[in-house]
Amino acid sequence: MGDTLITVIAIVLAAVLMFVFPLMTMSDRTDDVSQLAVETATTEFVDDVRSTGKLSMDKYSRFVEDISATGNSYDVQMEAQILDENPGKKTTQAESTKIGENVYYTMYTSQIMDTINPSSGATKTLALKEGDIFSTSVKNTNSTLSQQLKNFFYSVTGNDTYTIAAEHAGIVTANGAGN
Amino acid sequence: MKYQSLAVIFIIIILPISMILTAYVQNQVQTLQLQISYDTKLTNSTYDALKAFQLNALNSSTSDLANSKLRDIEASVNTFFNSMASNFNMAGYNKDILQNYVPAVVYTMYDGYYIYSPFTNTLEEDDEGATYTNGEKVYGLKPYIFYSCRYKTSSIDVVITYTLDNYITVQGSINNNPVYRYGYLIEPSNITGSGSSIQYRGVTISPSEVLREDVAYPQEDGTIRKISNCPYVKINGIKYYNDGGTWFSMLNGTRYDQSNVFKEENDSAIKYYQDARDFTNWVRTNLGDLSSANAVDSVTGEKIDSFGNYEIFSSESDKSIEDPDSNFNQQRQAVIRYSIEKNLSVAIANYNRYSGETSANFQMPKLQEDEWEKIINNISIISFMQGISIGGKVYNGYSIVTNTVNEEVVNTDSIYLITSDGQYHKATDTDIGNNVTSAYLNLDFERKSVTNNVGINYYYPHNEMGCYSSIVSQSAVDVPENIYEYMAEKGGTVAQAYFTALGRERYSMYKTNNNPTELFKEFSTP
Repeated sequence: MGDTLITVIAIVLAAVLMFVFPLMTMSDRTDDVSQLAVETATTEFVDDVRSTGKLSMDKYSRFVEDISATGNSYDVQMEAQILDENPGKKTTQAESTKIGENVYYTMYTSQIMDTINPSSGATKTLALKEGDIFSTSVKNTNSTLSQQLKNFFYSVTGNDTYTIAAEHAGIVTANGAGN
Repeated sequence: MKYQSLAVIFIIIILPISMILTAYVQNQVQTLQLQISYDTKLTNSTYDALKAFQLNALNSSTSDLANSKLRDIEASVNTFFNSMASNFNMAGYNKDILQNYVPAVVYTMYDGYYIYSPFTNTLEEDDEGATYTNGEKVYGLKPYIFYSCRYKTSSIDVVITYTLDNYITVQGSINNNPVYRYGYLIEPSNITGSGSSIQYRGVTISPSEVLREDVAYPQEDGTIRKISNCPYVKINGIKYYNDGGTWFSMLNGTRYDQSNVFKEENDSAIKYYQDARDFTNWVRTNLGDLSSANAVDSVTGEKIDSFGNYEIFSSESDKSIEDPDSNFNQQRQAVIRYSIEKNLSVAIANYNRYSGETSANFQMPKLQEDEWEKIINNISIISFMQGISIGGKVYNGYSIVTNTVNEEVVNTDSIYLITSDGQYHKATDTDIGNNVTSAYLNLDFERKSVTNNVGINYYYPHNEMGCYSSIVSQSAVDVPENIYEYMAEKGGTVAQAYFTALGRERYSMYKTNNNPTELFKEFSTP
């Protein structure tokens, strides 16, 4: 009886070592590669918007397609900070030795999406100007294979349990509404 | 064999493989990450360089003159290398080391460009006190190169210098007569009327206008005097203000009174259109059948094949010469591109001879079409970085940043319109209405500073606030293919103010061809 139990335990142990361990390392690598792909896509997307000053649905869809190609689903958060020099100008007008503050007002994902969503067939673009700041952050929303396997041994749950994340931001260097 | 042993042997085999694989993948990931982060860092450094150039140029009243421009560019190059050092975590490394990885930095200007790259210094006379010796390798700005092209037919041998807009200079000989003419090209049939009554595309140009802006300067007792809404005229890039009958100009924060007395009423715009019509007619008569196939290399005299074969200046049935898709503009862009491409690839290829510390083979990367579009239509900085090792790979990259606020060129989108509600707008604002009062260059809306013994004082030449739909957020602006047609269609005070300001600003900007004595006479009271 005792011998059978040990055999069963040995088989289970061998199975874990021979299947789950390689599977875990491999799925970890897959996540690494996904992470790299997502990071590259995010950087390229943000840098493209920064250097052209334009964000269109076309660019956004291409970006989402790029990151979805890794096989995971993602939550994309965009943020555009629009520079408003008017308050600073008022400060200078009132007191000539002060230059006032640069005030930024922020557009978040839903507002940006409203702006670039094509209406009645016409493509719309969000035009940013020199000095604005554009940023994007991406997190995976599904649980990847490596996360699931890890959960098998130790369970971590909650909102912040992502393994693939990328973030990039920078100042816009061109006027998007030039002609 | 027991299952356990089997498993242990399996692990012994798999573990090192997995570890090596992990390390390899990590390495590759890091290389790629470095590469993308380097792209961003290079763009940031280039943007810093541009900002430095902009700031220096904006606060200097002589930034359009060559020696002052050179100083601004040198300062901008220093900023570029400082910014590179801190961005690339190489703080402490000086310019000399970073220069080994930067084969060229290009500053494109209104009618030509500077390349910052190493060259061999030639000093014909040996002077004990000279900073550089003969044959020394020096990093610096190479001589200014114009966007010019030589055209040769049986009767014509001219060099035409193009610019970022429709201004050209023609030098050479036509029918063995020497010519030296310059001016703006505008379709003559688009300009109607004569004398002070001129219409451009059916829009009447304001015959005379009084320009006003705020100006401040430090007085002898140290206090700052600010004159609000001071009338001024702009001649050859310099503004002359009227202070109750005394005309003065500002030179880097100091007031200089002038002996000349100018007319407040200003008809620069009318002159711009009249001169452009005369010049274009002259070009049509003398160079009308000049074709792009007549272009030859300035040194070898060989034909340049890439330019195709079409008449550059002749009239086209459905297009005006100033339209973005006209033959003239096609040729202009081809020449600018050819010139930059040729000289830059030479500069980068030559870099191999100077780069002592890196073994990289420097080559000019192929720029994309949309990047050329940016370079051809704007003042810009192009920076190249090659030869930095990033774990297994060598980083080659470049970055292009354009400068939209400058004294160098009056672009079609650098005119801002002021409306009666105290706001200023882009000319293409969709809801601008018809209450436009005046229009000025975008540069005049930027903050300026004056320094006295107490500190720095700031002021804005124009106190209007930026419109939220076109200046701050640009949510309601049109992006027309052809701004001239767009404006003519719009009509009303918007078009009038726009075309008047565009003509006036282009007429009054600094150009090397201008004759200041003649211009002074034009603007002075009789």
